[in-house]
Amino acid sequence: MRDEIAIVGVGSTDFTRDAGGTSAAKLGAQACINAIRDAGIDKNEIDGVVGALEPGAPRANQMAAILGLKDITHHSSPMPVAVFALVDAMTAIFSGQCDTVLVYYAFTRAPWNSRSAAKDPFRSYLGGMMGGGLKAPPMPESIDPSAAYTAWAARYIHDYDVPREDFGRVALNMRANAARNPKAAMKAPLTMEAYLEARMIRDPLCMLDMDVPVDGADAFILTTTEKAKKMTPNPVVVHAATAGMVGNNDEDQLPSLARHGQHIVVEALKERSDVWIDDIDVFFPYDGFSIITLGWIENCGFAKPGQAGKFMQEHWDDDLGCVMIDGRVPMNPHGGSLSEGASRGTGHLREAVMQLRGDAGERQVHDAKTALIGCGGFFFNSQGAILKRL
Amino acid sequence: MSQAVDDAALVEKFPWVQITHDSKHHFRGWLEKKLLISRCDDCNHFHHPPKPVCPSCWSESLTPTEVSGDGTVHLAMHLHQGAPAPGVDYAKGPHPVVAVDLDGTDGTRFSSTVVDLPVEEVVIGLPVELVWIERYGSPFPVFRKKAGA
Repeated sequence: MRDEIAIVGVGSTDFTRDAGGTSAAKLGAQACINAIRDAGIDKNEIDGVVGALEPGAPRANQMAAILGLKDITHHSSPMPVAVFALVDAMTAIFSGQCDTVLVYYAFTRAPWNSRSAAKDPFRSYLGGMMGGGLKAPPMPESIDPSAAYTAWAARYIHDYDVPREDFGRVALNMRANAARNPKAAMKAPLTMEAYLEARMIRDPLCMLDMDVPVDGADAFILTTTEKAKKMTPNPVVVHAATAGMVGNNDEDQLPSLARHGQHIVVEALKERSDVWIDDIDVFFPYDGFSIITLGWIENCGFAKPGQAGKFMQEHWDDDLGCVMIDGRVPMNPHGGSLSEGASRGTGHLREAVMQLRGDAGERQVHDAKTALIGCGGFFFNSQGAILKRL
Repeated sequence: MSQAVDDAALVEKFPWVQITHDSKHHFRGWLEKKLLISRCDDCNHFHHPPKPVCPSCWSESLTPTEVSGDGTVHLAMHLHQGAPAPGVDYAKGPHPVVAVDLDGTDGTRFSSTVVDLPVEEVVIGLPVELVWIERYGSPFPVFRKKAGA
């Protein structure tokens, strides 16, 4: 599938801490309409719909009804995070199931992670989705997919004897970049002192190590590269994309930090790609939790295990207040999930496309041709993609 | 194994977990204050949480096997906020959560909390032993610092 599938349309909403009386369906619809218009196609040309299975978001069949689409020959609602839906759309096009796919992701703050969302009666049903309808709350001792990142962050600190400042640099990088992104939810400047004093949530991770719940949506139009060349002067192709997971991926049973989903992703991407970290112009390590970013920096090969913090320090641009690898390659120039908002990687994907199209405004990396996305974490949702300007 | 508690009653006793036909033996063990970890009769491999087949050899011949519960803390975190539970008061201080490498189980881990120890002493590498407390009126397995450690 190398370079065979292209992204020809992008649409988004702003990412906010509170979109008021707006549903995830409406945010998703707005992003989809923007993406279809951006691609310059008629909605009747869409014959595939892939919508990420986010709490509160409409499923693919519901979105087709919302948008009044015509005849659909492929639709699915894959798990978050972002690259699952991307790969599903790519394989559907490549295998001939459909030609032009609408991929969307819509996020809505849930009552359990947002006080203002908890006050919205129309979001109350989301509470029942946590814990799968159990009669009592899940026990606090459950090392679930979310808490597990803190548990393994503690192991990382134990194994490599690193300071909290290493995690803080991840947060600072994202916040400085978000200040240059009009869509971002969190733009207020952040200092290391403020990071170290921030409220602990699950020690050793504090509030600023965890992504910011937002309301927002992203959407993309994918088709064959062959068609894309006739549609747009600047198609962005997916050079390689993959998921990655080890079998023993129960969160508290993972054998070690030395081999998990990210390692599988890196091996698969290297095998399927002509380019690697020395060739890229923009780097997108996922940052749902800061420990995940440290993992991507190390597992992609920028730094040895335990050295991601040192690497960021060595490649820190004091004027910009963020990482510039070799003075050239920024890391999540849109601000990532920590500061743009918890898009579960769609913000990373969208910014990669904008950078490669030359549409990233004041964040634009000069002549950006290649982007590497390390999406998701350690357990069931590690993924990666390399995008190129054709 | 207690047969006095039927499946419906078992579900009622542990309202905060999703019990399945694969994990029902494990939770029946809790009622008798026994920590039962699934072990394969064919290849002797332990695994947790309970699965329908042995992940090593696919045997369906699995025995919930009582373990001592002695072990070493492999992962540790201190929750400043989290899900509510009886006896857990985040206002009084962080609640420790650990994943313990269980002795004699080839590195199989069991996750719970540590009691009777200042939270700052709940760290990776701590030797622990099993002890039972009560939660929602049913026995609940937790750890404490191993005696003499």
